[in-house]
Amino acid sequence: MEGFTGILLILLSSILVNNFVLSKFLGICPFLGVSKKVETALGMGFAVTFVMALASVISWIVHHLILVPLGIEYMQTIAFILVIAALVQLVEMALQKLVPSLYSALGVYLPLITTNCAVLGVAIINITEEFNLLQTLVNGIGAAVGFTIAIVLFAGIRERLEHADIPQAMKGFPVALISAGLMALAFYGFQGLV
Amino acid sequence: MNIGEILLPVAALGGLGLVLGLGLAVASKLLAVKVDPNIAKVNELLPGANCGGCGYPGCSGFAKALCEGDCEVGQCSVLSEENLQAIGELLGVEATIGERRVARVLCRGDEENCATRFEYYGLNDCRAAAMLAGGPASCRFACVGLLTCASVCPFDAICLNEHGIATVDESRCTACGKCVEACPKDAIHIMDEGSRVYINCRNTDKGKDVMQACKAGCIGCGLCAKKCPEGAITMENNLPVYDYEKCTNCGVCAVVCPKGSIALKEPITQTAVIYEDPCIGCGICKKACPTGAIKGEIKELHVVNPKKCAACGICVEKCPKDAIELCDR
Amino acid sequence: MKTKPLAIIKNGIFDENPIFKLMLGLCPMLAVTTAAFNGIGMGLAAMFVLVGSNVVIALLRNFIPAKIRIPAFIVIIASFVTMVQLLLKAFIPALDEALGLFIPLIVVNCIILGRAEAYASKNPVGASLLDGIGMGLGFMIALFIVASIREILGNGTFFDITLFGPDFQPMLLMIGSPGGFITLGLVLALINHITKKRQQRRQAKGAR
Repeated sequence: MEGFTGILLILLSSILVNNFVLSKFLGICPFLGVSKKVETALGMGFAVTFVMALASVISWIVHHLILVPLGIEYMQTIAFILVIAALVQLVEMALQKLVPSLYSALGVYLPLITTNCAVLGVAIINITEEFNLLQTLVNGIGAAVGFTIAIVLFAGIRERLEHADIPQAMKGFPVALISAGLMALAFYGFQGLV
Repeated sequence: MNIGEILLPVAALGGLGLVLGLGLAVASKLLAVKVDPNIAKVNELLPGANCGGCGYPGCSGFAKALCEGDCEVGQCSVLSEENLQAIGELLGVEATIGERRVARVLCRGDEENCATRFEYYGLNDCRAAAMLAGGPASCRFACVGLLTCASVCPFDAICLNEHGIATVDESRCTACGKCVEACPKDAIHIMDEGSRVYINCRNTDKGKDVMQACKAGCIGCGLCAKKCPEGAITMENNLPVYDYEKCTNCGVCAVVCPKGSIALKEPITQTAVIYEDPCIGCGICKKACPTGAIKGEIKELHVVNPKKCAACGICVEKCPKDAIELCDR
Repeated sequence: MKTKPLAIIKNGIFDENPIFKLMLGLCPMLAVTTAAFNGIGMGLAAMFVLVGSNVVIALLRNFIPAKIRIPAFIVIIASFVTMVQLLLKAFIPALDEALGLFIPLIVVNCIILGRAEAYASKNPVGASLLDGIGMGLGFMIALFIVASIREILGNGTFFDITLFGPDFQPMLLMIGSPGGFITLGLVLALINHITKKRQQRRQAKGAR
């Protein structure tokens, strides 16, 4: 049972307590850029979940089977980013061929995910936290779910902000950032949960 | 400095890169999707506004459907004449622009005609205001005037007229239908640009109820339907419904409407004139006139009241002595 | 068209400031600006990578085939980032500790890939070098401003020098994540306001 609670704790931690966007500040660019409408936010969230889970696992494998045995851990950054870029290309091609409906819904966001710091970030965190393969997969999924929750909630808020009377200088990003700050404050409430 | 220390990472990562690259190359062959090259060419010629007016998801969706032969080029109302022809040539199909359609806001409930029940303070959105007891106007079908339609219009074609009702700039409108969806009162409708007459009201109540809400609302009297020379109007839900196949744009309905609820896009520029000489006072014109614009006694010269004349031309046809002519006012 | 070198650098700091005008590179901006020292450190590290990658990409721009240019750019940038990582670990371990995860994340900093794509792949080496310096300076100045505000209000220190007396209650919120968002939002609002006022003044002068 220890294994299962451990997994649950990792999930809770990455989704709520250390939410990747609101606590760790990873994935801010798409968070602010793709969150104008709830549908696009949801699409981006799904695409990111898919890529992050795969990327976590594959980069873990590359680290433990190639970099460590050869003693070149310092090449981690380059190796991981190569893997992620190739993975995103592959996922895009596979989606286009195998599930065209999903491709037309999510396809636009996939190239954006290559430069999403959250993906590279979670890959590196999995190594520094010294997770095993299963824990890595769970952490990757949890991080992506946390990202999706944050971005969808934020999109909902921004849709409402469109209709509000905001002073000229604050329109657009300033008020969006302050709303994000208040969201981050709300998520502070989860501290101490794990 | 051990040369091996430099070669090892280069080899390892180079190897990794090579493997990944080869993998991608293989995958791109296995997972290749055949894309019609015409689609990209057609997409270039499309305006790229992604308004959805054609009924397809964005210009790329329309391009795909065009190349598959599922639709007409003329469905895109934003295309310029030359691009329309270019697409027609590229695909080898007939490309003709359909009758131009525009959106029109059907409401005359401005500050003069329709009283306000309460001051609204809230989200600057018609849909939000409409949820509050049907909106601040006394007519629950009235245009709310907070310009949600304008905010969704991709062509900036809607603004408030001087009386506070949303109005469409028909030169910019492409009938994409976004405003129709957005309006919570269903006050915007799409019709042919050439339709000169239309009912400028959506109120389905009758008589006194309408008059209490708005001075210019349609009371459902049915006079327009009775007097239409072509029988193109039927009354449904206390509102006239036009059969635009039969409508000849004569304008009689607009003239006879007691409340002025029927809009006349172009003013009536002519009037019938009865010439004294040939007129024998038979009174046939008076009977035939749908608007009651002709007055006169038997055996005496009949006179047309220009204010009531819709220049429909029925009297000109019916006069046995050819004594009537349509002249510019 | 010869653009004066100073103009290119000024462009990166004012007209196209990557954080305040282009809204790129926000991840490190929010995470790293808990102390002014960290802000400057990150700014310098990013400038090193930016200048290095801009120069190399400008040198190779006619040789990289268009289809694989993005992966090629990423590999070049990643190499420079690894260099910075190892240099910091060896010579400034305090900064390495403070910046932590965000040093390798410079690789996916949208500023660097963005400038490579938009500028270095289309302009000669000299101009790309200056653009790298300009953007790097702009990034660093932006980081410095936000970091200073957060450090002064959230910790009562500036570059680790205590500013206020022992009775000062620091706003811990400022150091945490909400503080980052809110400070950046307010600074952006101020800059928007100033830009607008300058535009209005320029228009008024033009009208006359």
